Amino acid sequence: MKKVFKVFIVAFSLFTAGNISAQCDTIANLCAKHLEAKFISDGQQYRALLLSTDETAEFHSTFYGGSTYRIAACSGLTDGNLVFSIFDEQRNMIFTNSEYKNAPYWDFKVTSTLDCIIEAKLDARNQGSGCAVILIGFKQ
Amino acid sequence: MTAKFLKLRDYVLLLSVVSIFSFGCGTSEKNDKESAAEPLDSTASNILNVNGQIFSIPSPIQTAMMIKQSGANYNKEMLNSAQNSSTYSTSFKKALNLGVYGADLGYVTIYEQTQDAISYLNSVKKIADDLGVSGAFTPETVNRFQKNLGNKDSLLALVSVGYRASDAYLKNNDRSEVSGLILTGGWIESLNFAVSVLKIKDNEEVKRRIAEQKSSLNSLIKLLNANYSQPEYAQLVDALQDLSKVFDGIEFKYSYEKPTVDLDKKLTIINSKTEVKISAEQVQAISEKAKSIRNQIVG
Repeated sequence: MKKVFKVFIVAFSLFTAGNISAQCDTIANLCAKHLEAKFISDGQQYRALLLSTDETAEFHSTFYGGSTYRIAACSGLTDGNLVFSIFDEQRNMIFTNSEYKNAPYWDFKVTSTLDCIIEAKLDARNQGSGCAVILIGFKQ
Repeated sequence: MTAKFLKLRDYVLLLSVVSIFSFGCGTSEKNDKESAAEPLDSTASNILNVNGQIFSIPSPIQTAMMIKQSGANYNKEMLNSAQNSSTYSTSFKKALNLGVYGADLGYVTIYEQTQDAISYLNSVKKIADDLGVSGAFTPETVNRFQKNLGNKDSLLALVSVGYRASDAYLKNNDRSEVSGLILTGGWIESLNFAVSVLKIKDNEEVKRRIAEQKSSLNSLIKLLNANYSQPEYAQLVDALQDLSKVFDGIEFKYSYEKPTVDLDKKLTIINSKTEVKISAEQVQAISEKAKSIRNQIVG
């Protein structure tokens, strides 16, 4: 019985993990449309599994001066489920899309190179948990 | 599936029920409760989340663009020879050089060297195939690349999307460490562009870009550190840490300025300023150490 339970747990984990990856892929494909042709992807895909609206995915990035960036942020199959915010390293807020109806993408013209922190969390009004995807594109 | 994304907890519960019926065995009530209550660990879900952190490294293509804008001439000598792609035997070296070749492909594309671009794309495809990164650089991608040879922007977009697909594939397949090596290779090659250009002609903008690599270097060290127990990773991390000591001496003075917003364009202008002071000795030290690491990778 113990063995059967172990097999169940392993199979369940693999099945669930595979499905979460597939969901993230679907979301990422939808999100990529926001980068459009005029922004070049930075070649990475930022993902986090957020299990509740209290969880925040955070990552550090560098935006080079003289460039314009587009950040696209998605979760679920519709726009506006993910709240993303940008802070400088002193924690001054640079931007939050929550002030703009959770806009799924926003552009940033960078005057001088900035090391920043990007945070993403689910909007509790729309979604309780799920895969969060952020994409970054740039143009000179 | 409904238009709204299925809530994950509902999803887990639903899967538990379906799985129990699929197994067709009389799992005890206790076990049912245990499996349903089992928290889903985000580190077990194929999502890049190393020690709770996700890492972002700027694209090497951006530095290649800046190099061209600085007025530097095309210099094929500073690139890794496309023919070397068949000489890398370990996955470790292949992954690092997939990053190196991505940066080189970006560089030759920006300088509109179409013949070289095809050679580097073939090198990228070969290594990606060797590493089992399926779907990133397919024959279709190569065809599209060849059809767009006169269109630099389309080519850069294709290369970047290919690398993003590799990144996603590797993260999905629990191979984030390979993804980290590709980022490292691309980063060191872009730093190599900058220090090589400075050797020919002094340029303040290029020097500044070198200094601005401090944060990316720290992120790469944290990312690679997860595999420090493996000797080849340890050697690379030690070399990068040695390089980071030089970066620690560079002076940065940051001043926050309130951003301005253009609502119609969905655009925020970031007005904060960062002043950088990097000495000639620091540039020299970074140049030597970066070249040494890069030569170890491509050699």
